[in-house]
Amino acid sequence: MTEVREVPLTEWLRALDQARAAGFAMLDLITAVDRIGVVEVVAVLTNPDTAQRCRLTTRVPADQLAVPSASSVLDGASWHERETAEMFGIIFTGHPDPRPLILREAPASGVPPLRKASALTERVAREWPGTPSGDDLRRARRPQLPPGVRDEWMSEREPA
Amino acid sequence: MTSREPRGVIQLIPDACTVCMICVQECPSWCIAIDSHHEEVSEEGARRPRTVSVLDRFTIDFGLCMYCGICVDVCPFDALEWQPQHDYPAATRSGLEHDTDRLASHGSS
Ligand code: SF4
Ligand code: SF4
Repeated sequence: MTEVREVPLTEWLRALDQARAAGFAMLDLITAVDRIGVVEVVAVLTNPDTAQRCRLTTRVPADQLAVPSASSVLDGASWHERETAEMFGIIFTGHPDPRPLILREAPASGVPPLRKASALTERVAREWPGTPSGDDLRRARRPQLPPGVRDEWMSEREPA
Repeated sequence: MTSREPRGVIQLIPDACTVCMICVQECPSWCIAIDSHHEEVSEEGARRPRTVSVLDRFTIDFGLCMYCGICVDVCPFDALEWQPQHDYPAATRSGLEHDTDRLASHGSS
């Protein structure tokens, strides 16, 4: 069973520290989820004695993506935060080594790759295998976009 | 579905497939492709012939598949099934694209 706790940003470090003190001493991962307008930062901790897990989340407005770094509280947070920073555009304040971890260069679009606004260019360039054809296309009321592909990405596509 | 089922390879049961395209549209990796055509079948007592989709070719590209199992889950006709066989290397990239017959042959026997 995974315990889930959502905490306000101001409580983030304290909540992580409390979880660690309560036995959730091993950091599994830190990542984030783009909820559009809000980015949710997620930390998963494991209790090595009981194998129980604890998931902590905090929500940050997308236009103010600053989160205090957990590296002072949890050993091993540093790499996770570096990856989360470059993938979601979050600044982990007080991070001891905020260099990018995985991306060799920042994306040309300026949108961090795991944000929902980041266009999946392969999906624009390739034809969706699920595109209705023949009778099904005639029956479809309006052109169907593949799931996860946004209208605004397609407008840049060359007309076929 | 349980997470314990062996995710080795996906078997297609062609006779069960109605070409509804749901698996193709739900696959996050875009690695299923289907060719089909329509045929009219007249049934006794029916006023008009019925149009049915006929499967010509079904491929799964296991070079792209991430073994999420969504296709197996969403198929309303149980035409896709996990099978435990996992050793199917290929000498060429296209050898990882399994067509209808190959997919159908991934039986449990
Ligand atoms: S297992 Fe997932 S990735 Fe593979 S074919 Fe099915 S839906 Fe696509
Ligand atoms: S969801 Fe099932 S029935 Fe529909 S096209 Fe896919 S395999 Fe065939």
